Amino acid sequence: MTMEDMKNEADTTSMVSMALYTVMYPVFNQAEKENPGLTQDIVIKILEKKNLEINYTESLLRMAADDVEEFLINRREVEFQELNERARALKNILSTIPDEINDRVRFLQSIKDIASAIKELLDTVNTVFRKYQHQNRRALEQQKKEFVKYSKSFSNTLKTYFKDGKAINVFVSANRLTHQTNMILQAFRTVV
Amino acid sequence: MEDDVKKVKKPGIVSPFKRVFLKGEKGRDKKAQEKATERRALHTFSLSQPDHRIDPDILLNDYIEKEVKYLGQLTSVPGYLNPSSRTEVLQLIDNARKSHQLAGQLTSEQDAVVSLSAYNIKLVWRDGEDIILRVPIHDIAAVSYIRDDSLHLVVLKTAQESGGSPCPSSCPDLNKSQTLSSLSESGAVLVEVCCLLVLAVENKAAAEELCLLLSQVFQIVYTESTIDFLDRAIFDGATTPTRHLSLYSDDSSSKVDVKEAFEAEASTFSFQGSLEAGGNSPSASTPASPQTKTASEGELSTTAAELLQDYMTTLRTKLSSQEIQQFATLLHEYRNGASIHEFCINLRQLYGDSRKFLLLGLRPFIPEKDSQHFENFLETIGVKDGRGIITDSFGRYRRTASSASDSTTNGNGAAGGSVDSGGSDGGQEASEGDEWDRMITDISNDIEALGCSMDQEGVTP
Repeated sequence: MTMEDMKNEADTTSMVSMALYTVMYPVFNQAEKENPGLTQDIVIKILEKKNLEINYTESLLRMAADDVEEFLINRREVEFQELNERARALKNILSTIPDEINDRVRFLQSIKDIASAIKELLDTVNTVFRKYQHQNRRALEQQKKEFVKYSKSFSNTLKTYFKDGKAINVFVSANRLTHQTNMILQAFRTVV
Repeated sequence: MEDDVKKVKKPGIVSPFKRVFLKGEKGRDKKAQEKATERRALHTFSLSQPDHRIDPDILLNDYIEKEVKYLGQLTSVPGYLNPSSRTEVLQLIDNARKSHQLAGQLTSEQDAVVSLSAYNIKLVWRDGEDIILRVPIHDIAAVSYIRDDSLHLVVLKTAQESGGSPCPSSCPDLNKSQTLSSLSESGAVLVEVCCLLVLAVENKAAAEELCLLLSQVFQIVYTESTIDFLDRAIFDGATTPTRHLSLYSDDSSSKVDVKEAFEAEASTFSFQGSLEAGGNSPSASTPASPQTKTASEGELSTTAAELLQDYMTTLRTKLSSQEIQQFATLLHEYRNGASIHEFCINLRQLYGDSRKFLLLGLRPFIPEKDSQHFENFLETIGVKDGRGIITDSFGRYRRTASSASDSTTNGNGAAGGSVDSGGSDGGQEASEGDEWDRMITDISNDIEALGCSMDQEGVTP
């Protein structure tokens, strides 16, 4: 197969993928809302069926940096926009873990960046708490606590990783932290 | 044949010079041999090949010794020295050897032992075990191996310590600022300085082994340090007050927000219930806006209880039951009059290096009168600021932390904290202080009970 052929095939595949995406996304979106976890099950089954050696957890983590509309806060105030930015920054760094984890020096640098990003996100959350009164304040604080809990869990996972070398656990924990970041965004998005 | 026999026989008359010389030589050899047999065995372990990997626990909880020759330490070396440049380093060493700052000939007199752990490298003389020097790991910038013909040199670039070098330096002693001023044609130039610790080992394999061991130490130390940094960041972000009241102020952004909101007269903050800032914050002396909610004692209690509860939860995951009881005892002693200094030292001992970040969470427990000492203590043990690694992200975080530490000097709010409100909040203060004291006592009792209950359950965190 020539380069030209491969390029054409890629272009064709990409067009087909886009069409499929446009059609199937609303279907999956609705199905997922009614049956949480359904999409993951289907994807994993397809991977198994095709005997594809793709690390699902790692792939999910690599996609963590992608913006998801439903987790973006639409309010224009500076603090809420900062919340969006800080969350995006954290998810961005988390998504690079698979590329950095095998180089100790670079991975340590990533961890430091994650630490700073977590602190900045929490600082922004605290700022929003201080500046605005919310009716569902308790729910927001609970969400913050969950985020802190999963941040601590991520730290513990790293400690274990440096002893046993099992990267998959780091990916799982990072995915959970990404999810909690999205939950914070979702909580503030729907805040009154 | 007789001549040959004669030649084999010992001569009847021995030249006096030969007698003295030979006797001296033999004596020295004998002494060296005696020394070798007298010397104790080194504390060493077998390392897995080919990368000389050692169990990290040995470096953390034990140590490993290697035999080296100590040539000396060069001080006031320009910090921009490239440790990877063979030419630069050898030039310095050659000059130092010429000026007798470093040993020229290598003899058994330079025999030394380097003791390596995750905390420091220690150099002692092989005979007599007198200490030569000790360098904390975080003071080591680089390690180089240079083969110079038959000489295998291991050179450590370290931070400069005043008065630490046993060898005379060509430059005058410098102060802690570690800068060397020199006038050049263009004007004064400030140069950071460092030290070069020069060791020689037996062969290339020994040099590589020493370098790889140090590399593993760096990995352990900086990994631990990085995780500590992450834990501190989470803890700091989690414990910064989210309510309008702040029990302590270590976050300059919170102070700024408070001030700005108040100046805008659209504040929803209440300061009557605030235990913040030993009076330096202008917000503390300003009456609450009629639109604001007055903080009730209940709100204050809830916030304080949440923070302390959070800390207890953390303690439970980090300390054993015995340690929790020890913590409760120390807290009790402090509350009953023990000095803050004693409290800090004992806690530091209890937590150890790996858990010293837990001290951060104690801020709500520290009354304002002791807060300065406490904050200084945190800084001396490297909890408040990042240690060692200086990077952009550290820089970013350190700017926040350093501004936080500035605001902390204005005081943490806690029991008996003075709020400079000109007396108008005096009565409120006393009741807040009493409430605070009661909570601390309750929490201390709870912590003690937690330790006992964990003993009974046989739970090991």
